[in-house]
Amino acid sequence: MIRLAPGNLRIPRFERPVYVVAGGLTDYRKQYPEKNTCQLCTEALRMAVEENDLKVDPEEFRRSVNWCVYSQFADHFGDQLLAAAKVHDYLGFDPLGNIEVKTGGATGGSAVLAAAQAVASGYASCVPVVGWERMDEVSTKVGNSYIASAACKDFESELGWMYASYYALMAQRYQYENRVPRETLARIACKNHLYACYSPYSQNPGRYTIDDVLKNDLVSDPLSFLECCAMSVGAAVLILADEETAFRMTDQPVRLTAICGGTHTLRTADRRNMPILLLPNETEETYRDYFHGRRDEWPGFSSFLAARMAAYLAYHMAGIRDPVEDFDLLETHDAFTISDIQTYEDIGLRPYGQGRDFIDSGDAYFEGRLPTNLSGGLIGTMHAVGATGIFQLAEVLWQLQGKWDKFHADPARWARYGKRKPDDFRSLQVKNARRGCAISHAGTGSHVTVSIMERT
Amino acid sequence: MAVELNGTIAEVLREEPLVIKNLKTWHHSHSYGGWGRFFKGLREGRLLATRCTNPRCAEKRLWLPPRCECPDCWHPMEWVDAPTVGRIYTHTTVLYPGALFRAAAPCPLISVEMDGVCTKLMSYLKEGTPRIGLPIRAVFNRERPTNTILDLAWVPHA
Repeated sequence: MIRLAPGNLRIPRFERPVYVVAGGLTDYRKQYPEKNTCQLCTEALRMAVEENDLKVDPEEFRRSVNWCVYSQFADHFGDQLLAAAKVHDYLGFDPLGNIEVKTGGATGGSAVLAAAQAVASGYASCVPVVGWERMDEVSTKVGNSYIASAACKDFESELGWMYASYYALMAQRYQYENRVPRETLARIACKNHLYACYSPYSQNPGRYTIDDVLKNDLVSDPLSFLECCAMSVGAAVLILADEETAFRMTDQPVRLTAICGGTHTLRTADRRNMPILLLPNETEETYRDYFHGRRDEWPGFSSFLAARMAAYLAYHMAGIRDPVEDFDLLETHDAFTISDIQTYEDIGLRPYGQGRDFIDSGDAYFEGRLPTNLSGGLIGTMHAVGATGIFQLAEVLWQLQGKWDKFHADPARWARYGKRKPDDFRSLQVKNARRGCAISHAGTGSHVTVSIMERT
Repeated sequence: MAVELNGTIAEVLREEPLVIKNLKTWHHSHSYGGWGRFFKGLREGRLLATRCTNPRCAEKRLWLPPRCECPDCWHPMEWVDAPTVGRIYTHTTVLYPGALFRAAAPCPLISVEMDGVCTKLMSYLKEGTPRIGLPIRAVFNRERPTNTILDLAWVPHA
């Protein structure tokens, strides 16, 4: 059993406030041979600096930067070691210091965490976080082997070389314990593919019915293709700054009130149980009947301890009492439909065992109590792994600034990516959004970060 | 001095934008280090796990996958024979495996729950239809070992 001591559960704090001033993206594609990685990163950075209504021109921005953080998941996908040095040079940031961060699927979240630590400590005052992934140099089948290299190569990867299957093992156990109807899972896939229809950046938009998802081929039971994330090429940028720099650069900086990380074993096999770590909106009473009173049979294979740990720290750091009440929007790491339901429970949107109600109740939809993955998420829009956590936060930033339409509704932006804005386009701007949250997630829950941003 | 290219040309996959084929054909020499004992055990039809030798350590159960050092106290662990019967904790059938998979799809993956073992080893069901709770026993691929985790599999146990 895992034992946590008070020192292990110390709530992180920033020595000074951290702000997000701008975000930039590329569009996301399965194949993107037209632009190399350096070009994609430049495109996302230019968008961040030139299209976010900054009060400083690009030259003054460059004079303000004093540290850079890079985010790429897999060197073997890009086939270029020290790719960060190449991108850093291409962006013209030499000889400033930089660091490249790697924590699997949560790399983007961890990179923003590293940048926030630099700003919060006073080490830096203006930090671009640049993330990307280039997953199109190899076939999908080889790509899946590469991704499965992020399972344990000694005891697990050989069993299928397929990450979806490692998630499917957890999914099957979750279903055994909780029996979520396939229709509920299909609704998550339909929702995120649909929201991707309103994003010019999206790779997998689609207006699917529940029946389409139910009849879709299985990758590894119970997961179908339409319930799995995209494999993408693209980049994303977020710019972090201290208070003085943030207000010098923009009238609408958004404060990063918390960003915290948690982990659990890379091999799902090695997960031992412990008593449930309670969030601020839960009590002992919440789980009186859970698992017939055996509250310490957690997290098993049905829950992500890493996500619960990160949420525990972040909620206490930002003063969150009830996530559904306190957040106005949420971006989850919807790598697979069932893992999304598992995450709803881990971050306290519903008690353990009741995650499906977050979808069934309508809470997760636009104009619901906590709209989730209005970006289209990983299922609908992108999973260019190193860019993903940064992409999520750029989308949350624009929602909190009231700029969702600016970055999604302009026909010229659709044309930039060779697309036509759909005739039935609708705005997904959340009215008066004040506080948003994003979950970045790796492995079968090996690393998770929870970020909370708040309008100033 | 004249420099000659050795004649190997990169195949052009696409002209616009220019895309070339980069070949990657070398091997890695991967050592299992201290875990090699587990894989050699499979060749002999033995399922070896480890147990912490520190009397002060709270975790008395076996680790499988084995570890040479205990994650709870970093003390050396001892090798012991693990139970060769267990139950299916969860399962999935791989229909579209990645490129390096050495077996044929569909392949039923399982997580194995064993009495006295604190972990739930990932493996595969060689015969039968998987279901949660199904009693199973270990079988070993000793004829032509792959010297990987695939040399261990499970079958239903009456």
